[in-house]
Order: sequence, then C-alpha cells, then structure tokens
Amino acid sequence: MKIFRHLTTALTTFSALVAGGAFAFVVALTFVVSIFRDVEISAWNVVASQIGPWFLLFIGVYAIHNTLPIAIAHGRTRREFLVAASGFSVVLALVMTVAEWLGFLVEGGIYSLMDWSAGEHGTQYAYFQMYLVWVAVGMLCAAAFDRFGAGGIFVLPVAFAFVVITRVQIPGSGDFPFFRNVPSVLGSGWHVLSVAAFLVALAGTWAIARDMPVRQRSA
Amino acid sequence: MFDDRSPIYRQIADRIKADVLSGALKADEQVMSTNQYASYYRINPATAAKAFQQLVDEQVLYKKRGIGMFVGAQARDMLRAQGRETFFGEVVDPMVAEARAIGIPLAEVIRRIEQHEKNGGV
Amino acid sequence: MRIDVQGLTVRYGDTVAIDDMSFSLSGNKIYGLLGRNGAGKTSLMSALAGYRKPSGSVQLDGAPVFENAASMRQVCLVRHSADAADKSDKVSHVLEYGAAWRDTWDNDYALELVDLFRIGLKTKVGELSLGQRSALGVVIGLASRSPLTMLDESHLGMDTPTRYAFYDTLLHDFMAHPRTIVISTHLIEELSSLLEEVLIIDAGRLVLQEEADVLRSRGTEVTGNASDVDEFTAGLTVLGEKSLGRTKAAMVYGALDDGQLVRARQLGLELGPIALQDLFVHLTEPVGGKR
Repeated sequence: MKIFRHLTTALTTFSALVAGGAFAFVVALTFVVSIFRDVEISAWNVVASQIGPWFLLFIGVYAIHNTLPIAIAHGRTRREFLVAASGFSVVLALVMTVAEWLGFLVEGGIYSLMDWSAGEHGTQYAYFQMYLVWVAVGMLCAAAFDRFGAGGIFVLPVAFAFVVITRVQIPGSGDFPFFRNVPSVLGSGWHVLSVAAFLVALAGTWAIARDMPVRQRSA
Repeated sequence: MFDDRSPIYRQIADRIKADVLSGALKADEQVMSTNQYASYYRINPATAAKAFQQLVDEQVLYKKRGIGMFVGAQARDMLRAQGRETFFGEVVDPMVAEARAIGIPLAEVIRRIEQHEKNGGV
Repeated sequence: MRIDVQGLTVRYGDTVAIDDMSFSLSGNKIYGLLGRNGAGKTSLMSALAGYRKPSGSVQLDGAPVFENAASMRQVCLVRHSADAADKSDKVSHVLEYGAAWRDTWDNDYALELVDLFRIGLKTKVGELSLGQRSALGVVIGLASRSPLTMLDESHLGMDTPTRYAFYDTLLHDFMAHPRTIVISTHLIEELSSLLEEVLIIDAGRLVLQEEADVLRSRGTEVTGNASDVDEFTAGLTVLGEKSLGRTKAAMVYGALDDGQLVRARQLGLELGPIALQDLFVHLTEPVGGKR
C-alpha cells in the first residue's frame, strides 16, 4: 500500500501537472497560429493522442527502471511493487483521461467562441484504453531491457503491435499505412483486444520482473 | 591507539592494569563503561566487554550490578605482587643481555642503579 | 538477526562470483566481510539482501529472504552504486523514499547525519562527489535502522576525517541500537578494531570466519637463522616467507602449543605477532606463498 500511495501521489501529480502545462502551451500556440492561418484542427488532440501516449510510456519505463530498484533497496519485494504498479497504471490512465476530457471541454469552449473548427476526436473510452496500454507497454519494455540488456529487443515487435491496436479508434492520431481499415474490420472487437493487450503487457512485465536482480548502476 | 597485532582486549586489560599499578585508578574507583571505552578508543564494545570480563576474572575489577565496574580493593597489591614475580625475568634479564651485547660492563650498570637509589628513586 | 547461507552460488554468465558458499552468522555483531576486488563481496551481500535470486539457500532468522516481504523489511544493503537513489533526484527526495517506504526509518537521525557529512539537501545525487555519495549511502544504511544492515565499501572516496566520522557514527549507532551490521572493506587496518567477527572470502569461496581478536592471535612471525626457521616451521601452515641474508622470517598461521614455544626458545627464534592486514594479504594470495 505504501508503494501504491507513493506512486500515485508522486507520479500522478507530476503527470497531471505536465498535462496542465501542455494544455496552457497549446492554447497559447493556437492563438499564435490563428494570426497567420485558419485553425482547422484541435491542437489539444495532437497532445492527447500523439504526445500523451509517449509520455505515459515514459512514466511506465520510469516506474520499472528507476522506482522498482529503489523499492527493493528499501526492503520491498518485487511482488509488492508489481501489484502497486499495476494499480497505479489504471489510476494514472484514468487521471490522464480526465485531463484529456477537461482539455477538450475547455478547448471546445474557446474554439466555439473564436469560431474555429476542431475536427473530431475519439471517445473517452478510446483514450483511456490507449493510455492504459501505453503505460503497461512502457513497463514491459523497461522490464525486458533491464533484465536481458540488449536482448530485451525481442519485446519491441510485441510492444509495437499492442500500441497499434490502441490507435485505431483515435481520429487524427496519425494513420498507419497498413492499418487504415482496422477499426471497420475489427468492429467493436478492438475493445476486447486493447484490454487484452493491457493485460498481456502487465503479465509480461510481471513474468520478466518477478525474479529480476537489482543491477549495479554505473556510479 | 591499539596496534593490530595482538588481541585488542588484552591490550585494553594491560592498559587498565597499568593505570591501577600507577595509581591513576584508585581502589573502589569506577572505571569507564564498556560503551564509553568503546567509543573513546573506537573499538567494538564486545571487545571492551571481553577485556573487562578478563579483569573481573583476575579480580582486578568487580561488578556492581546495574552501576558498573570498580577497581578491586586489593587489586593494586595483587598486581604489584605479580609484577615482582616477573620483574627479574622480563625486565632485568633482558637488560643484562642488552648490556652485554653492546659491551657495557655490569659493574657500570650496577653503579647507575645505586645512583638512582641515592637520589631517591628515578 | 541470524543469517544462514547454505550452498550459495552466484553466476554471471560463465563467471562464478560465489562458489558453493556456506556459513552462519549468529547476529547482533559488527561483521567485517574482507576480500580483494572481485572476490565476491558485493555478490554475496546482494544475495543476502534479496537483490538477486539465490541458487542455494539464504535464510534470515530461518526464513528465505528472496521475495519474502517479512524478511525484506528487515534488510538494508547499501552498495556504492547507490541503489536507493536516482542520479537526478535531490538528496531530500532520496530521504523521502526512505521515510515513505521504510517502517523503521528514523528521519531525524537521517537529517542529523546529512548535516554531519555536510551533504546539501537540495543537491542532486549525480552532482555529489564520490565521497559524499558514499556518505549518503551511510545515511540511508544507518537511518534505516534495519535489523540486518549491510554497507558495501562505504568508505569509498571519503577523506580521512570523514571516514573517522563514519566509524564513530557507526559505533555509536550500533551501541544505541544493537543490530547485525556487515561491512565489506579492504581498508582493514582502519576498520578492524570496530569488528567483532571477520569473514575473509577469496575467489567466491569462504577462506575463514573468525572472531577478530582470535584471528589477531592466530598469526605468528618466526624470525631467526634460516635453517632453524625452516626446521621449526616444517609441518606448520606457512603463509609467507622473506629472507635477509641468513635471517629468515616466516609467517605461521595457527596457534602454537607449549612444546613449540619451548623449541622456538631453544633455537633462539624470535616470535612476533602479525597484523590483521598482513594475515589477510597472505590468506588471499593467489600465487606465491604456500597455503
């Protein structure tokens, strides 16, 4: 419980602050852009769907690569940490989804005031699942590289497949050349798939980190 | 402080005995506690305790439960008696051997000792 | 805290760091873990602290330590790589981790030590000098107040006054809060008076485990005429020899009995003690010097 509390308070607060900063920045940027040309897309959607997932991936990597060894050095087990980190990934994804929703809400108000067009964006559920999978994939990658060194590269194709799944329902999130029609192919099956991706990524992290030695860091 | 070549507890015991002999530690006077001794000389407290235990066994010190260690009433006399037993073997004989080795006639050594006696001690 | 190690082996690929090691520590003492660089000190401590899964068994008070929450709570290992800290973290942040995750953490004491070692609370760990980083490790190790506290080469990069402050602090805290402390070092001369028991390891194997004061009385330097010394030391464990002209000095390991002492006097041999440091050097010598 101590680990969960620490992760949620420290890292979630940090992430929410970053989201707030990013929102202020894109709103300012949108006004600057509007001087030169018409605003046709939602700037916040770029953050929420392009940069956001990478940030969450980074937080996932940080949790395993940096925080796990510290937890062990302070007398906590890997199991305790992984339980806490799993719970934390859900809380973090939820908080970031709320941040994303608030962002669209405020941005929508500004856009209608300024009579700009924002284009469409995904459902809250789509964002939530995307964030969830990206945090878990970050943890999986960190565990693989920490445990196997360069050998951890084997995890990348899996990680790539997982994150691709999450993007199919996010409009304007950058189209992949071969995956354009995946949503229509899968229908609502992608929900199941992305939840499965999250669970498999967590299970993989667990399996790899369960017996992981704490490496000597270069001093 | 302590050399690393012989058991430290023995070095401590010898030092306390020397203090008792010289009168620096008087009869029934309390000696430092194990912990005080350990931190003062930067040694493991178990080592200091071992030295004290040896001195208790030899009746140089006695224990007052809950208070500490004290110098035995007879400790000085006892140590003096022990010292007298070993004095000639450990001090005089090697001195004579040394004097021979460097060529000082024993007569000269004796004269020096007599001088000390005349001056009233060293 | 009692420690039992049975058939412990640690491998890194083809390298065997700890080779089928077994020993027991009764606990509540200051132990010195002595060994040359690469002898396996850090690997052994890492296995004791549950940092890696052991092959063989490592038990603390009778319970396996690896992934055992109850045992892990009672262990603190500080390696000089500072595992409990991130380079980008501020010192104050590092202490917060301790306060958040250690039930036994004494934060007042941690702040007192940080002050003693003159470590800035706002400094980032990566900006500390090697000596300060070592000192921060000592702060974490001591403020954790763990029943089993292990400090790996904690003197690294400390200047002499800091080292002595470290020794004094360690001793005081041990007396105020008796617990099992294991210190690895090769600065034996400075530290040896603090140790109650000594383990010497070499090439992943336990060479000896002995009370420090007993060990000090174990070694004897026999000096005299070369042929007499040879006669006397025949059949004894000779760790090393050196000659000067016809005079020879041999380091003998093991207590001498009364008969041997009489014989030495008859031969006119001089018997002297050997420093712990010299004993260590000769006990871990890979080549030269008979075993």
